[in-house]
Amino acid sequence: MLKILPHSQKFIIKLLFVAALTLVISSCATKPPASDLAARSAFKENNDRLEPFNRAMFDVDQAIDAVIFRPVAWTYREFVPDPVRRGITNFLRNLRSPITLASDLLQGNVDRAGQTIGRFVVNTTIGVLGFADIAADLGTPYHYEDLGQTLATWGLKDGSYLYLPVIGPTSFRDGFSQALDTFLIDPVAWYNYADNPGWVRWAYFGSVYIDARANTMTATDELKASSIDHYASLRSAYRQNREKEIRNGAPAPLPSMTNGEDDPFAEAPANK
Amino acid sequence: MMISRRDFATLSVACVAVSRSAFAQDWRNSPNALVEKFAEKGITDILGAAISQREKADRFRVLFKDFFDIPSIGRFVLARFARTASAEENEKFAMLFEDVIVYTWSRRFGEYKGQILKVKDNTPDGNDGALVNSYIMDNDSQSFAVAWRLRKRAAGYRVVDIIIEGVSMAITYRQEYSTIIQQNGGIGGLLAQMQKQVDEMKAKLA
Repeated sequence: MLKILPHSQKFIIKLLFVAALTLVISSCATKPPASDLAARSAFKENNDRLEPFNRAMFDVDQAIDAVIFRPVAWTYREFVPDPVRRGITNFLRNLRSPITLASDLLQGNVDRAGQTIGRFVVNTTIGVLGFADIAADLGTPYHYEDLGQTLATWGLKDGSYLYLPVIGPTSFRDGFSQALDTFLIDPVAWYNYADNPGWVRWAYFGSVYIDARANTMTATDELKASSIDHYASLRSAYRQNREKEIRNGAPAPLPSMTNGEDDPFAEAPANK
Repeated sequence: MMISRRDFATLSVACVAVSRSAFAQDWRNSPNALVEKFAEKGITDILGAAISQREKADRFRVLFKDFFDIPSIGRFVLARFARTASAEENEKFAMLFEDVIVYTWSRRFGEYKGQILKVKDNTPDGNDGALVNSYIMDNDSQSFAVAWRLRKRAAGYRVVDIIIEGVSMAITYRQEYSTIIQQNGGIGGLLAQMQKQVDEMKAKLA
């Protein structure tokens, strides 16, 4: 894509890239000293090497969200009836079936790949282009897969937490693979590459974004209202939810405790 | 001495009454029943009751203390930082943490629109504990998964964590608080911020 741009634009893009890289490198989080065990283990658990940079991006994202995306999603949620919104969510989910299918197969999960194909066929036909999730009513519920989850099941760690404006919370692994999903596997991208009108893709991106924003509004509002450090609680919640997706919904292993006990929820001494 | 029929009848009624009261608290020893009881009490005594918001918060505090093992949760949340904190700081934390949860939950009691909780099953968890899987049915037929982490204590099971769509309440608090401790002057900084949050939520409740 860079090939078709005029020379001056290429230079500006390179300059921006170098500036962004400098900003990222210069704003690395400082590791607490090894003597401070509690701080050190918390630092490791949070795995956020770019925290100063991420916090700055979080502020930018929150500002954009407050002015543009949240009001749009709020209006959409308020004025479009529930069944219609549900239909749109179903339609968009059905449209991304190829991404889910590719991920199911790359994870070697033949059963889930079969479910994805079955769902796509049933919902696209009987479910009228995917607006009705008939397959779920018939006992095959929707599942979400992406390349990031695939790489995680292959053993690739998430690198570090990453927060980007508009994109929101992600990680190096998931951000990179989301770009690949969007530009290489998504059928809407291929539709666009075949010289079709560009607005289709932007309309698609916009719908996916507003649909997701509307569906998560209650949860995000609640988290914001109930936390002291919104950035930190969102980082924790995002990561736990992501881990659950990677485990395909299986219960999380017991969280580790730092005092050597085998059960982190052992009875507190004062309670005995 | 012969026992008359009437005496026998009285005795059997008394026996039934005694056994009833012995079994009345049976739900405390069944993971699924405990969660169901918590939801039932929450809905009838608090969410559905025609009382003020403040009274709802008071009732919730009693319910919360009865069903949850707050000291264990607090200890998990503070993790290693609990060891470096003084006895007063730990005590103050326990008090504020209870308040934070009571007022955070109470804030949303007014938004209750008839959602129901259905218990699905449970699996063994940790030492002598259980993970109860349930889901909450929303109005627009959307449901979300809620798992309850339970531990057996002297008087029966107690809840030590709630996990909504994979997000654990205890872990989220732990990671948020550890960040605040590191960036805002240790435990003292965290306690000051918690106090401020509690005061604000309390003021809004009235």
